[in-house]
Amino acid sequence: MPMNDMPKPGMPSGALPMLILRVLQSGSLHGYAIAQRIHVLSSQVLGVEEGLLYPTLQKMLAKGWVTAEWGVSETNRKVRFYRLTVAGRKHLKAELNDYDRVTQAIQDILRTA
Amino acid sequence: MGELFRRIVYLLNRRRMDAELESDMEFHREMAARAGRNNFGNTLRMREQAREAWGWTWLDRLIQDLRYGVRILARSPGFTLMSVLILAIGIGVNVAAFSLFDMVALEPLPVRDPATLVRLERRSPNAYTDGVPYTSLLFYGKNARTLSAVMGVLGVPPMQVDDDLQQATASFITPNYFTELGTRAAQGRLFDPTRDGTANDAPSIVLSYGFWQRRFSGDPSIVGRLIHINRKPATVVGVTPYAFASLGSQRPDIWMPIAQQPYFVEGSHTLTDSGDSAVRMWGRLASGVSAKMAAEELRTLTNELRRQHPNDIWDNEYIQISPGGHLQVMQPEMYQVAALVSVLTLLILAVACANLGGLMLARAVTREREIGIRIAIGAGRWRIFRQLCTESLLLATLGALTGLALGCTVLRLALANSDAPKWLSATPDWRVLLFTVAVTLAAAMFFGLAPALQVARQRQQKTMARQILVGAQVAASCVLLIVAGLLVHAAQHALYTDPGFGYQQLVSIDAQLSQHGYSPAAAKAYLDQMQTRLRALPGVRSVALVELPPLGHTVNRRTREIDGHNIFVYPNWVAPGFFETMGIPVLMGRTFYPGEKNAVIVSQSFADRQWPGRNPIGQAVGDGDSKDMVVGVVGNARINALSDDDATEQYWPAQPGDMPEMTVLARTAGAPDSLPPVVKSISENLDPKLFPEIRQLKVLYHDNVAPVEEVAAVVSLIGMVAVSLAGVGIIGMVAFTVSQRTKEIAIRIALGAKPVQVLAAVLRQFTWPIALGMVAGTGIAAAASRVLRKALFGVSNLDPAGYAGAVAVLVAIIAVAALLPARRALHLDLAKTLHYE
Repeated sequence: MPMNDMPKPGMPSGALPMLILRVLQSGSLHGYAIAQRIHVLSSQVLGVEEGLLYPTLQKMLAKGWVTAEWGVSETNRKVRFYRLTVAGRKHLKAELNDYDRVTQAIQDILRTA
Repeated sequence: MGELFRRIVYLLNRRRMDAELESDMEFHREMAARAGRNNFGNTLRMREQAREAWGWTWLDRLIQDLRYGVRILARSPGFTLMSVLILAIGIGVNVAAFSLFDMVALEPLPVRDPATLVRLERRSPNAYTDGVPYTSLLFYGKNARTLSAVMGVLGVPPMQVDDDLQQATASFITPNYFTELGTRAAQGRLFDPTRDGTANDAPSIVLSYGFWQRRFSGDPSIVGRLIHINRKPATVVGVTPYAFASLGSQRPDIWMPIAQQPYFVEGSHTLTDSGDSAVRMWGRLASGVSAKMAAEELRTLTNELRRQHPNDIWDNEYIQISPGGHLQVMQPEMYQVAALVSVLTLLILAVACANLGGLMLARAVTREREIGIRIAIGAGRWRIFRQLCTESLLLATLGALTGLALGCTVLRLALANSDAPKWLSATPDWRVLLFTVAVTLAAAMFFGLAPALQVARQRQQKTMARQILVGAQVAASCVLLIVAGLLVHAAQHALYTDPGFGYQQLVSIDAQLSQHGYSPAAAKAYLDQMQTRLRALPGVRSVALVELPPLGHTVNRRTREIDGHNIFVYPNWVAPGFFETMGIPVLMGRTFYPGEKNAVIVSQSFADRQWPGRNPIGQAVGDGDSKDMVVGVVGNARINALSDDDATEQYWPAQPGDMPEMTVLARTAGAPDSLPPVVKSISENLDPKLFPEIRQLKVLYHDNVAPVEEVAAVVSLIGMVAVSLAGVGIIGMVAFTVSQRTKEIAIRIALGAKPVQVLAAVLRQFTWPIALGMVAGTGIAAAASRVLRKALFGVSNLDPAGYAGAVAVLVAIIAVAALLPARRALHLDLAKTLHYE
């Protein structure tokens, strides 16, 4: 496997679902676009590998956070677009709150210790 | 909940879902390629990983494993057939045994609310009887708040129906019996408390379905018919249903209301005598009441009864409550027997499993290549192990299904050929199915786990495993054969040795004088007359009186502690001529004088235990103030405990007051078959109100021994099956060892080894396991058969003949099984073997 598709060091474990939910907040995307968006938005620091993205998406489908529906890609190919559900939105909010609290706590320690 | 639902949707639409996933990933690749990044990952593997998110991978793997397992088994039909057959025998025997136990002790009776039915029996620390006086039953019924109903059954000797030659069995019951059970009549009506509750109600009887069919050919107009029971007219009001479930599986031909017992049995005081424990008592717990609460209340009531009738209630008496809503009210001894039977049947399963384990091990060698290849191309050991376990489970399931069918068929045949209650069915219920599943899993574990572990580890330590399997088979077969040997010996012993009394030419004549209210004087007159007339008959050799006739309905037993051991004493009250008539030898001293008092005659077995090495004559017997002197010692005669070798007897001279209880015994010169009609006419002549029960002892004796013979036959059959299995297993293993070591043996022979040395080399690894197995098996048998003691008709449970016979049979079979295949090693084609490769 090419090196650039390996998960980059520094991607916190368990963060991928949160990132996916976050990038889907602004509208539905297909799988490749999700990976691209994360890659671009992280200033190319975080890369999402195919072997990690699709199992995660399947898990999220099963949890009911996202749904998939057929659409047409920019290359005119029939492809599935993932969309956030109400449950997914709720979950994202909870995840973000948790994340904020934890990072805040870590920041506090790093600053004062 | 939503997630599970979505997962199931995924499972059901997996083909479409998989296609969608594939399309997604393909698109991803196309886009990545456009962006100039080539991805060389294994798409199939990635898709599989993604699919794991659905949570059904285990199912996929299971189906794969099963499919593969079926292919593997189908490829070797001989092995599969053999294994399924072996397992079917092992599991079938267990299923049949458990079904039987289930029927007897677990399956609720098909009656209203069976769970609250209880059997109530009088107990004290050293006394027991299965009945209560009718007066007590009424007292408990009236005062017990913890019981919503009390039912009673008074079993009586067979009764005369019209002028039939054969008497009919009969029971008197409390009128709430049928209403409490919720029984519906097949014809007419059954008893109910408002119409059949008092002696003033019109005499009515209910017929059993079988009797209605047999005696009245199922006559549809039977209801309302007047028939005579013991010459007393009564109206048939109804017929019980075909599949009638009764309490304690009592099945008389005729049911009568207990309030009318004095009408049918003229002169009887049974219903008013507070000392006559004749009625079997049953109850129904009030709702929300536990057996313990009821027991406490009944104890208080028993104490109250003691105040009213101080002589009729024992010290520390209490009412024992046991679950009554099953075919059989289980007593502790029955659980012991059940435990013994389950040990035996599980042993058969053990033999079957050990056998199959041997087959699997041998097969593992032939499958080494296949498994080696699978591991080489990337199968994990865990996956291989799982695959092998799945195969075992598949085999076990096939075996279990066959075994279940086998067990149920056997049971169905047994039910059809016995007079079991008609509501019993051999169709397995959920308990039997659950048991089958449990046994199947255990079996699969036992025969599949060890081989699977070894194969998956790719280790070659199979000699040890083979040795353990051989040892286990030998031990289990040894136990089965010994138990079979003991039972066979017991049956032989019972059939062909003297039970201590001559039964071939004896007839007992029980006129139930006390039941008909005879006074001692009247009874004496009747019995004297009867004896005189009998003596006058040409074929009669001698006549005597006894209170508890041999093999009779009533058994009286006392427990006595001698040197810390509890022994059973069977007391009896007899007239002087009893021992001569019974053919029981007087060994020391003398028999009674007419009219003797305060004397006792004991059996040899009692004298040996009570006064070992001393002269028993002149010793005193009895507790408290009334001591009786031993005047004689007679031979052991277990007239009311045929099978119990530990039984001892004591005889007292019958006193004038005992006369209404006495039974006449007559010994004939030739076959006694012609005597009963003559006795009947004599009795008719003496008192037409009486209908004596006339029984030939040889018939009773055979009825007593027949079950032991049957059990011995069944256990022998099972033992032989187990031994055959073990034999086949040993043949297989030895043959396998020979085939594995062909080259070594050929070299030995080529170097000049003698045949004996060659055989020894082949068989050495089995010698120790077989020897150890036999020792272990004998030990287990000796320990387990203690339970059997009371059923062995005087054969010791350590009986050398039984053990020697069993071990000899086993050794012979093992020797043949080991030598047959081992012989092959001697006839090897040396040149060919050594040139091979």
